[in-house]
Amino acid sequence: MKSGSRLERILEAKLFAVTAELGPPKGPDRSVVERKMGLLRGVCDAINVTDNQTAIVRLSSVATCVMLAQAGLEPVMQMTCRDRNRLAIQADIFGAVALGVRNLLCLTGDHQCFGNHPTSKNVYDLDSIQLIQMVARMRDEGLTLGGEPIEGAVPLFIGGAANPFGDPFELRPIRLAKKVAAGVDFIQTQCIFDLPRFKEYMKRVVDMGLHEKCHILAGVMPLKSVGAARYINANVAGIKVPESIIKRLQGAGKGSKVRDEGIKICAETIQAVREIEGVHGVHIMAVEWEEAIAEITKQAGLLPRPEV
Amino acid sequence: MIVAKRKPLAEIAANLKKVNKLLIVGCNTCVAVCLAGGEKEVAMLASALRLALRPTNPNLQITERSVERQCEEEFNAVLAQDIAEHEVVLSMACGVGVQTLAEQFPSAIVYPALDTTFMGRPEERGIWSERCAGCGQCVLDKFGGICPITRCSKNLLNGPCGGSENGKCEVDPQNIDCAWQLIYDRLKRIGQLERLLEIEPPKDWSKSRHGGPRKIVREDMVL
Amino acid sequence: MTDQGKIVLLGCARSAGEAIEALAQAGRALPSHVEWVRLPCGSAVDELHILRAFEAGADRVMILACYDGACRSVTGNRWAEKRVQGAKALLEEAGIAGWRLQFRNIAPTMATDLLAWLEAFQEPEPAGAAAASSAESEAKK
Repeated sequence: MKSGSRLERILEAKLFAVTAELGPPKGPDRSVVERKMGLLRGVCDAINVTDNQTAIVRLSSVATCVMLAQAGLEPVMQMTCRDRNRLAIQADIFGAVALGVRNLLCLTGDHQCFGNHPTSKNVYDLDSIQLIQMVARMRDEGLTLGGEPIEGAVPLFIGGAANPFGDPFELRPIRLAKKVAAGVDFIQTQCIFDLPRFKEYMKRVVDMGLHEKCHILAGVMPLKSVGAARYINANVAGIKVPESIIKRLQGAGKGSKVRDEGIKICAETIQAVREIEGVHGVHIMAVEWEEAIAEITKQAGLLPRPEV
Repeated sequence: MIVAKRKPLAEIAANLKKVNKLLIVGCNTCVAVCLAGGEKEVAMLASALRLALRPTNPNLQITERSVERQCEEEFNAVLAQDIAEHEVVLSMACGVGVQTLAEQFPSAIVYPALDTTFMGRPEERGIWSERCAGCGQCVLDKFGGICPITRCSKNLLNGPCGGSENGKCEVDPQNIDCAWQLIYDRLKRIGQLERLLEIEPPKDWSKSRHGGPRKIVREDMVL
Repeated sequence: MTDQGKIVLLGCARSAGEAIEALAQAGRALPSHVEWVRLPCGSAVDELHILRAFEAGADRVMILACYDGACRSVTGNRWAEKRVQGAKALLEEAGIAGWRLQFRNIAPTMATDLLAWLEAFQEPEPAGAAAASSAESEAKK
C-alpha cells in the first residue's frame, strides 16, 4: 500500500470505485462544507475538493480537505500549479498529510483570466507532470524537490487528470503514458459525453498497457438543464455536449423533469463506461449540484459502497 | 526585437501639466520598426500633443529629436544641450532607452511615451507577436525551435494542458496558438516526436528575472 | 451650415485632381474656404499631413482617393483609408471630434458630388434629433 487510503484499498481490491466532487464556498463559511459533506457521506468512496477552480477564489482545498478528514470522510485534495510555487506546494502537502489527507490530484490549473482575479500574476513554477513526479519522490524516497530528507512520511495516493477529448488527439495517450512514467497511481478523466471517442481513447490506452499501471476513473457530469449544456459548450474548453443529449433534455419537459433526465443520462453513462476495458471507476462532477450524487449512484447500481 | 506601443495620449498628457518646454526623443531601432517610437512617430505625437494641450498649455513648445539607438550613451550624447534647455524629456524609446536617458542625464525629468511589451517578431506588416521571455536558459533545441516558456500561456514544459482546442489556446483562441500543438506538429515534421516522451524536469527559474535583475560581464572584453 | 471654417482637402491626383480640373474647365471653383492639396496617390496620405492641417487651423479635413480597383498603385486607396482611421483615433485622443475628418472614394467624373459633400460636411445630428425635429414640424402643420 502506498497510502492506505480508502480509494487505494477499493482499487487494489478490484472493486469499481466511485469518487465525487465537492466545491468549497467563496469564503470561510463552514456550514456550506458541512451541508455538502452530508450529501456525499456514504454515496462515494472519496471526495475531490477543488482548488480555486476556474481561478475563482474559494475556501482552500487544504483547509476543506482537513474538515472532511476530521469528519471521518475521505478527501482527494486537488492541487493546481497556478497559484503556488514548489515551496508552497510542498509545505501544503506536508500540512495536508499531517492532518489526515491521503489522496492528491495533481493539476495544471485553469489560467487566471477565467476567474475573478484576472489581473493577478500566475505561478506555474511546476506543471502537472513535474508535480506528480515530485510527489512520487517525496513519498517513495522521502526527499524534497531540492533533495533533502523529509521529516515524516508522505503516504499519498497520487492522481492526475486526463482529457481524452483534447487536441492533439494523437498526443493524449502519450500524455497519459508520461504521467504514468512520472508516478501517477490513478487518473480521473474529463467529463464524458462522447462515448465512441472515449472508447477509442481507452482502446489505445489498453494497447499501450497503461490500464495495468494506473487506475482510470471515467469522469461524468449530470446536466441540470439545456442552459447548463449550452453554457458548457460555449465556455468550457475540452468538453462538448452532443446535440443528442441536449435533445433528450429538451424533450423531458421543464424544471425537475429536466433534472431527472439529466440524472438518468448520467447514470446510463456510468453503466456504459463500466463496460469498457481499463475503466476502474467513475468520478462524478455534479458542479453546485452535490444533491444529485446520491440519486445517480443509486440509479447506476453503485450503492451501497463496499467495506474495505 | 523589442516591441512596444504608444501609451494613450491622456496618460502621456497627465505628466505634462504646466510644462512649456518639452523635448520628445525617438529611437530609430526597434521602436521605429514596430512603428511606435521612430522619427515619424515623434512628429505625430508632437502634433497630437500640441492639439491636445492647446487649452491648458498655451505656451507649449515642443522640440522633436531622434537618435539611432537610445540604449547607448554614445548616441544620446548629442542631446545634452537640448536636455538641459527643456523642462521635461518624453522618450519614445523602449524602457531600456528611457532608463538610459535617465541614467545618463540624472538631473533630467524623463517620462516614457510607450508601453514596452515584449521581445518578438513581425509576423506580417502591422502585426508583431511575442517569442522570447528571456528565461536565461534556452531550451529551443528540445521543442523543435518553438518556445514553450514564451508561447505557452502557462509556460508548461510537459504540455499541452486540457485547454488546447483546434490548435488554439483557451486563454485567447482568436490570437494565441496552442504552443504545444505547434511543438507536436514541428517535432513530428522533423522526426523528433520521441522528445515528447521525456519528462522535462522543473525549470531553474533563478536564471530568469525571478532570480533578480541580471547582468552579463565579458571579462575578456573589459579592460 | 456651420461658419465657413477652413476645410483642407487632400486628394489623389488621378481621381480628386481630375474631378477638380473638370470643375475648373466648367468655369466653377471650389468654395473659398476649401484648400486643395494635390497628392500623387492615395498611398501618399500621411497621418502627419492630417494632424498638421488641424494644427495650422483647419476646421475639417477631407481625404479623397480612388475607388477600389481604380487605383493605379492597386492598394493606394486602401492605405489612404487606413491612414485616416489611424489619424482619426489620434485626433479623438487629442480632443478633436472624429467627424471632422472624412474619407471618401471619388472618380474623376464626380465633381458635382464633391461639391455636395463639401456642403454637407457638418457635425452629424445627434441620434433622435432628426426624428424629433420632423415630429415637431408635423405638429405645426
